[in-house]
Amino acid sequence: MKTRAVKAIIKKDIMAIGSNVQIWLPMLLIPIIFSLVLPGVLIIPARFYELTTIGNMDTILKLLDNLPPGALREITLSFDTVNKKMIYFAVNYLFAPFFLIIPLMAASVIGANSFAGEKERKTMESLLFAPVALPSLFWAKILSAFLPAFFLTILCSLLYGLMVNLTAYPLFHALIFPQPNWLILLFWVTPALSLGAVFVNVLISAKVKGFQEAYQLGGLVILPVLVLFVGQITGLLLVNTVFLWWLGASLWLIDLIFIKRVGERLNRDKLFASQVL
Amino acid sequence: MGKEIIRLEKINKTFAGTQIINNLSFSVQRGEILGFLGPNGSGKTTTIRLINGVIYPDSGQISVASFDPVTAGNEVRKRCGVLTESAGLYENMTALDNLLFFAELYEVKSPLSRAKELLADFGLSDATKKKVGIFSSGMKKRLGIAKALLHNPEILFLDEPTNGLDPEGARDLINYIKELNRKYQVTVLLATHLLKQVQDLCHRFIFIHQGRLLETGILTELEEKYLRRISLKVETGLEVSGEEFAGYRIENRAPGYLQFQVEKKDDIPLLLKEILLVAPVYSVEMSGRDLEALYFKIREERR
Repeated sequence: MKTRAVKAIIKKDIMAIGSNVQIWLPMLLIPIIFSLVLPGVLIIPARFYELTTIGNMDTILKLLDNLPPGALREITLSFDTVNKKMIYFAVNYLFAPFFLIIPLMAASVIGANSFAGEKERKTMESLLFAPVALPSLFWAKILSAFLPAFFLTILCSLLYGLMVNLTAYPLFHALIFPQPNWLILLFWVTPALSLGAVFVNVLISAKVKGFQEAYQLGGLVILPVLVLFVGQITGLLLVNTVFLWWLGASLWLIDLIFIKRVGERLNRDKLFASQVL
Repeated sequence: MGKEIIRLEKINKTFAGTQIINNLSFSVQRGEILGFLGPNGSGKTTTIRLINGVIYPDSGQISVASFDPVTAGNEVRKRCGVLTESAGLYENMTALDNLLFFAELYEVKSPLSRAKELLADFGLSDATKKKVGIFSSGMKKRLGIAKALLHNPEILFLDEPTNGLDPEGARDLINYIKELNRKYQVTVLLATHLLKQVQDLCHRFIFIHQGRLLETGILTELEEKYLRRISLKVETGLEVSGEEFAGYRIENRAPGYLQFQVEKKDDIPLLLKEILLVAPVYSVEMSGRDLEALYFKIREERR
């Protein structure tokens, strides 16, 4: 690995994020919505009104009644009001999939720019003409999308935690976030997922002509998470730490298979054919 | 000039069923400026890519400074600087940032001073902090060449370097290449279809067409070989009524001018001597002896 080249490429790509509104705007808006607005909208009214009177909460209430046995059920049901039960449940479990969407979205948008963008602007050619070994080039490009996506997720989680605990403290008189499942989610599942999303974008960029096309196709990686979200509501997948370990492990496995296959096949000629011509 | 620095042997390359390079063999000597000439789509860019090992030949051997671009590509690329046709610069970055970025990739020592030096050399000092996106095509081209020179390459590949440059810019560039070659013995492979501009710059020429080598040689050799007839425009007071004068055919005439056709260079002084016996000669100009005429002639004969 040539660290000089790797660092330079990562720095360049991260700087490029700031110069393209199509990239930084969603990265700014979505975290604000997920980290600040969403918990705020749930928790602040809950301090003053009965949540059950506001809207149709039947589904969630039913879910609360049917929680599988375990620590979550015990803690959730130990709260004295429906409001507290619902807040605790939503904050720690229901919203968890959003924090899978953030890294996916970020990795896809930045990845689209990093790969398809270079192709579109005909700068990939300059990179391939440089005396930089392909593994260095490959990892630099992967990291330049992965690192911002991962750190954005961590940052959003911190903001989320701050918002949740600040707004919920008057009600609970204790910190209610995070629970252990979040730590597994953030440090085991999210990195694997982000890496996977970057890889998907590498594959997409080989087939498309430009950033826009890659951006749109790359958005499809969010679909599985939406499925997960539905599963969450009906089957409480992310409650289960064992499930999270397995989810992370299978994602890492997919990533590893990808790395191995790419490593075996990577050569300048093929990369040039797919990224320049 | 001296030792061979690049050698291509029987190179073939096919893309999507089309043969782009067809049994191409040639070599480049260290320190020479080689004009690599051919129409658009004749395989010039592909050849540059093959030599730099960013694409691989289907068959044949390439050697650059005794390295094989396929197996030791980075050794080759370290020694080469390339101006690609699209210049390959980051438009959202400033001129200086572009150079600093590529300086890292090429592991340039003291990148900042080298970048500034090159920006000054190419008249871009005022545009240092400006984004490349707002540059004129000429400025982009100059910055692209500065980029190619960052690491003081032994071999410089210029793909259509004067495309998009105004006459002044093209002249400056050509002078800079001459200077570079003279001072540092940089080998230059210059691919172009704009023949007039490079005629006096290149030591030797290679003509390719549809990926095949048509001809190679220095200008005078090629002229000898292909331009059997020379057109000579003479400004003279001579008046001739017939189609001939002293056995030389008159192709064309205008008040004060006669255009003769001679078979070979050696005929020129003989013809002039004949004219001078009877009339004054004010100027003589050979036409049909430039690279362009040669190019068409070679294409016509060797295709």
